[in-house]
Amino acid sequence: MLRAKWWKVLSFVLLLYTCTYGFLVKVPRLDDRMKESIRNFFFHVPMWFGMMILLFVSLVYAIKYLKSGDLVHDVYSFAFASMGLVFGTLGIITGAVWANYQWGSPWVGDPKQNGAAIALLIYFAYFVLRGSLLDIEKRARLSAVYNIFSFFMLFPTLWILPRLTESLHPGGQGSDGNPGINGKDMSSNMRTVFYPAVIGWTLLGVWISTIRIRIQLLQLKKDGLL
Amino acid sequence: MIQLLETQIASNEGIMVQSGKIYLVMTIVSIILIGLFIYVASIDKKITQLEKK
Repeated sequence: MLRAKWWKVLSFVLLLYTCTYGFLVKVPRLDDRMKESIRNFFFHVPMWFGMMILLFVSLVYAIKYLKSGDLVHDVYSFAFASMGLVFGTLGIITGAVWANYQWGSPWVGDPKQNGAAIALLIYFAYFVLRGSLLDIEKRARLSAVYNIFSFFMLFPTLWILPRLTESLHPGGQGSDGNPGINGKDMSSNMRTVFYPAVIGWTLLGVWISTIRIRIQLLQLKKDGLL
Repeated sequence: MIQLLETQIASNEGIMVQSGKIYLVMTIVSIILIGLFIYVASIDKKITQLEKK
């Protein structure tokens, strides 16, 4: 699976589709406040979807590590968390650029912006924790436990609190339903680009994660730890 | 003469200047994407060689 080719090609095809048809597809103009900038939806939002999926995979491997004590699971967990955080960081930067032109300032204190920043900071502490422990077994075990904690902090920071108050993001108080689940809020034209974009970006993230995993495994083998 | 040149340039560029030059942006983003994938694929290949050793 690490070396399989088909899903890497699929990732390329889907992203090439996103980066071409994403510019051409007819998007709704509504009240003309968003204009063409709604196309950012094909790039900014998949960063967050990709982050959540990769962090979930990282969580699964953290639990697996705690059950098995197998260092390979720790390597997997770390690589997926790192790539998840790359997506999260790109998400917050692209969000700030978009906000600057749409809401008037890069940081408007929107509940979802603040929540995302808190979620990222909690995850950054995961890397600080790892970096501060020299014993490999201890590092793997403690960071697996902390990984579980930080994943569950995504629930209040990203998925619950921003939806309980008024928000400039979709899905805040007063808007119908949960845009993460209720895809009908998006025009069908946009959905034909958005979902392939999510799959494409996520697969690219998985690919880069597997490269990191393979380097780490080679290193461990060289050091005689595997 | 200048006018003739201008129309020639316009017709040469053709598709690139239609509807607000969005095709131009599309082409540039696609080139970046292709370059990025070639780079990631080359790293992938190098690791495969290392693993075979």
